[in-house]
Amino acid sequence: MRAEGRLLLPLLASAAALLWAVPFAWMAVASLRPGVPADIASLTPAGPFGFDNFAEAWKSGSFPVWYLNTLFVCGGILAVQLVSATMAGYAFARIAFPGRDFVFAAFLLQLLLIPPLLIVPNLATLASLHLYDTLFGIMMPYFASAFGVFLMRQTFKSLPRDYEEAAMLDGAGVGALIRHVLVPLARPGLVAFAIVSVTAHWNEFLWPLMAVSSPDRQVLTVGMASFASGAEAGSAWGVVAAGTFLVAGPLLVLFLVFQRRFVSSFVFSGFK
Amino acid sequence: MTGITRRTALTGAIAIPAAAAMTRAAKAAPTAIELFFPVPVQGMLANKMKELVDRFNKEHPAIAATAVYTGTYDDTNLKTRAAIKAGRPPALTLMSANFVREYVINGDADPFDPLIEKGGSTPAAFMAQFWPALAPNAVIGGRVYGVPFQNSTPLLYYNPALFKEAGLDPERPPVDWQAWISAAKALTKPGAGRWGVIWPNTYDYCGWITSGLVMSNGGQYFNHDYGGEVFYDAPSTQGALALVDTLVNRLKAMPPGVSDANTCTGALFAGKAAMMVLSTGSLSFIRKNMKLPYKVAFMPKNVRNAAPIGGGSLILPKGNTPARQAAAWTLVNWLTSPEIAGEWSRFTGYFAPRKAAYDLPAMKTYMAQNPDAKVALDQLEYAVPWFDTYNTIAVRKAMEDQVQAILSAKTTPKEAVAAAQKAADALLRPYVEKTALRPLA
Amino acid sequence: MSTFVEPYAAPVARAALSRRRPRFLPAAVLLLPSLVFLAAFTYWPVARVVAQSFVVGRFAGDRGLGLGNYRRLFADPHFAEAAWNNAAYAAGTILPSLLFALLFALALRESTRFNALLRTLVVMPLLIPLVAAAALFSFLLLPGEGLVDFYLGKLGGPMINWLGDPDLALGSIIAITVWKNTGYYMLFFLAGLAAVPQELLDAARIDGAGAWRRFRHATLPMLGPTLGFVVPIALVNALTQVDHVITMTQGGPSDRTNLLLYYIYQQTAQNYDAGLASAATVISVAALLSLSVLSFRLIERRLYYES
Repeated sequence: MRAEGRLLLPLLASAAALLWAVPFAWMAVASLRPGVPADIASLTPAGPFGFDNFAEAWKSGSFPVWYLNTLFVCGGILAVQLVSATMAGYAFARIAFPGRDFVFAAFLLQLLLIPPLLIVPNLATLASLHLYDTLFGIMMPYFASAFGVFLMRQTFKSLPRDYEEAAMLDGAGVGALIRHVLVPLARPGLVAFAIVSVTAHWNEFLWPLMAVSSPDRQVLTVGMASFASGAEAGSAWGVVAAGTFLVAGPLLVLFLVFQRRFVSSFVFSGFK
Repeated sequence: MTGITRRTALTGAIAIPAAAAMTRAAKAAPTAIELFFPVPVQGMLANKMKELVDRFNKEHPAIAATAVYTGTYDDTNLKTRAAIKAGRPPALTLMSANFVREYVINGDADPFDPLIEKGGSTPAAFMAQFWPALAPNAVIGGRVYGVPFQNSTPLLYYNPALFKEAGLDPERPPVDWQAWISAAKALTKPGAGRWGVIWPNTYDYCGWITSGLVMSNGGQYFNHDYGGEVFYDAPSTQGALALVDTLVNRLKAMPPGVSDANTCTGALFAGKAAMMVLSTGSLSFIRKNMKLPYKVAFMPKNVRNAAPIGGGSLILPKGNTPARQAAAWTLVNWLTSPEIAGEWSRFTGYFAPRKAAYDLPAMKTYMAQNPDAKVALDQLEYAVPWFDTYNTIAVRKAMEDQVQAILSAKTTPKEAVAAAQKAADALLRPYVEKTALRPLA
Repeated sequence: MSTFVEPYAAPVARAALSRRRPRFLPAAVLLLPSLVFLAAFTYWPVARVVAQSFVVGRFAGDRGLGLGNYRRLFADPHFAEAAWNNAAYAAGTILPSLLFALLFALALRESTRFNALLRTLVVMPLLIPLVAAAALFSFLLLPGEGLVDFYLGKLGGPMINWLGDPDLALGSIIAITVWKNTGYYMLFFLAGLAAVPQELLDAARIDGAGAWRRFRHATLPMLGPTLGFVVPIALVNALTQVDHVITMTQGGPSDRTNLLLYYIYQQTAQNYDAGLASAATVISVAALLSLSVLSFRLIERRLYYES
C-alpha cells in the first residue's frame, strides 16, 4: 500500500505536466498547418503541413524592427544594471556604513513597487525628461535593479575575503578591486542575473505599451499583441501560433539548449 | 575663345554640382507621413491596407507614407491620443466614425476645410460626394472633420437551408421583431447544438448593434446634436433590451454570455447558428469562407427600420505641420477616390462612402455578381448616425456592461437601463457642467 | 568584527587606516547610480502620485486640493468591482500556483531524466511573455472551435464560453496566470527542498513519521525562507500582471475581469482621468505594501524554524 501511495504523486505530476504542455503542443502543431482548416484545434491532424504561416506572420508584422528594439532595450538595461548592481552590491556586502540596513530595506522596496505599478507618475517623469516615446524611456526605470543588488550582495558576501585583502595590500583602489578581482569571481552570479534580467525585460508588456507610441519603436511583446489581434480578425489561428513562436521562440530555444544554466539562474537569484 | 574665363569655369564648377545636389536633395526628401489604421472586422485587412499604401507611394514619389496597424477602433483611438499628447501625432488616422466628435470637443483634430478650399472646392460640395447619411458623424459644428473611408451597416446573415428545414421560407427573412423571434425559436435545435441567432457582444460591437435595436424600436438612443445627453432610461431602449432578454434567456435561441466575432462567424460557418447579425464589413470574409449557401437581409424593425452607420473616417490629428497636412490630404484624396474606395469595398464588404464609386464599371460588375453587397447599400435609406458623445467609450460601456449582464441573466431590462443611465450621467457630468448647465450668473 | 578596508589606498592614505572613520563617501559613490534611478522611478513617483491624488479637477484649469478624487474613487462601482475581482484573483492565483508548485517540486525533486523532462514542461511558460500566453489561450478558450471546447465536445460536453460568461471569465484569466507562474515558483521550491538536510528527513522517518507528518514538521518549516520570498513575489504578480486582461477581455464581460492595475490603465489611457488614476494607484500600492508585510510576518512567525 505504501508503494502505491508513493506512486500516486509522481503519476499525478506526470499527468499534470503533460497538461501544462498542451498550449505549446498546440502552438507547434497549428503553426505548421497552413490555411484555415476546420479542425485547427486538433493536436493530431493529418496534414498538410508547411511553413506558410511563418512566412505570413513575418510579413504581416514588423518582426525585424521589433527584434532590434527588444535586443537594444534588453541589452541596454542589462549593461547598466550590471554596473549599478555590482557597485551597490559591493557596498552592501563589504562596507559597513551607518544606516546600511535602512538603505538596503529602501532598495528592497523596488522589488514590490515595480515600474508598471507606478505607471501614472513614471509616464509624467518620462514626459518631463523628454523621454516619452523613446527606447531609453523604456529602459530607464530599470537601470537600478534591487534584484540585482540583492543578488550581487549575496554573491560578494559568499566570496572569501582573501582575494580582496591581497589586492588591497597591492594598492588597488575600490574600482580596480571590483573590476579585476571580484567580478571575475562573481561570474556565476552575474550570469544568473543576466538571464533573469533579459527574460524579464524581453517579456515585459504594459510599461513599453504605455511608454512608446511610435510603431517603429515597439518591442516584440507590444508588436505581437497588435499582430495577433489582426490575425485573429482573419481567424488565421495558424498564423497567430506562428507569430507567437517568433516572439517566444528565441528564449524558448535558448532555454532548451542551456536548461541547467537557466534553471539554476532563477533558483540562484531568488534564494538566500 | 575667351568664352570660358577662369571665373566662369570656377563658378560653373561650383554651381553645377550645387544645383545637382539641390535637385538630389529635393528628390531625396519625400515627406514622411504615417497613417494609423484599425482593423475592426474580420478579414486580412491589415495586409491589404499596407498594399494600398505601397501603391500610393509608388504613384506619389514625393510622399513616403507608412501604414501602421493599430488594433481595434478603441486601440487606435488610444494610440492616436497618446501620440498627440506626446507631441508626435500621426499625419492621418483612420478613426472610428463616432470618435470624431470627441476629438473635436477635446481640440485634438484639425478641420479639412482649409485644405478643401485650397483645392478649389467648398466643404459642401466636397461632402456632397458622399452618401448623406454619413454627414452627421463627419461634419461637426459645420466643419468637415472626418472624411468617410469605409462604412457599414449591420446585416442579418442567414442560412437558407436551415430555414427550409425549419419550415420557413428562405426568400422571406423576418422583417420585424415578431417574425424574428418566431424564426429564431423555430430554428433553434438544442439537441443539434444549433442556435437560432447569434451576434457579437464584445465591447464596441455590442454598443453598435444595441443602438441599432433601440433605434429600430423608435428611439433616439442619444442626443444626435449634443454630446452630453443619452436616452438610456427610455421605453425604446428598454424594449430593445427586452428583445435581447427574450432571445437569450426566455427562448434560449441565442447563446448566453458574450460571444466575440470569431465565435459568431465560426458558428455560422459550421451551421451551428441559423442567423447572425454582423457588419457588412465582414461580407467578403464570409463570402470567402462560408462553404454553405447564405443570404443577407435588412435588420428587422419594430417601430421603424433603422440601420446604424459604422465604419471609419480619416481625420487630421492636431499638431502636424502644413507640409505633413498637405501630404496627408493627398493620401486622403487618393484613398477616397472612386477607384480605390471601390476596390476597398469589394475587398472587405464595407460599402464605398463615395457615391461615384458605384458608377465605375468594375463596381457595376461586382454588384451584379454579388447581390448581397447591395443590401447594405439599400439599407442606407434607413441609416441613423452612430453613437457619439463626450467620453464616448466610457459612456458606451456604461450600456454595454448592462447588456452583457442581461446576456447572463444577471439583471432585467428595467434595472439595466436605469443603471446604465445613472453611470452615463455621472460620466457626462463634467461636460454638461461646462455646457448645458454652465453657471449663468 | 568585519575588516575595515581603506578605499582610497593611495600610498599616502594607506597609512591612515582607521576603524572609526564613517564609510559614507565610498559607499555613497558606489550606491549613487542605483540611488539616482531608484529615486527617479520608485521613490519620487510614490511621492508624486500621493501628491497628485489630492489634486482635484477634471478639466484643465480647475485646480484644487482635496479628497475629491478619493470620494469619486470609492463611489465608482468600477473601482469596487476591480478591487473585489483583484482580491479573488489574488487568492485564486497565489494559492493554487503555490500549491501546484510545491506538489510538482515534491514529486519531481529527484534528478532523473524523466523528472527533468517534466520539470522542463512545467517551467517553459515562464519564458514566454504573458501576451503570448494570452494569444495562445485566446484560441484554446474559443467557444466551440477552440481546443478546450473541441475536445470537450468529443467527450459529449456542451459548448462553454470561457471568456464570455461573466461567471467564468475571471476563472479563465486565473487559469492562464496559474499556468504561467507555477513553473517559476516550482524552481524556488526545488531549491528550498534541496536545502532541507537529508538527516532531518531520515530522522523523522526513523521516528515512524508518515509522509504527511514528515512534510508538516520537517520539510515545511525549512521552506519558511522560500515561502517568505515567493509569497511577496506572488502578491506583486497578482497586482501587476494584467497583460492578458488588456488583450483578451478588456476588463469585461460586464467588468468582471477588471483588476486594479487595469482600472488604473483605463483611467490613464482611456479616460485621461489623472486624479482617479493617481488615487487608485495610491490605494493599490498601500494594499500591496501592507499585504506583503503582513504575509512576511505571518510566515516568519509560523514557519521559520518551528520547533
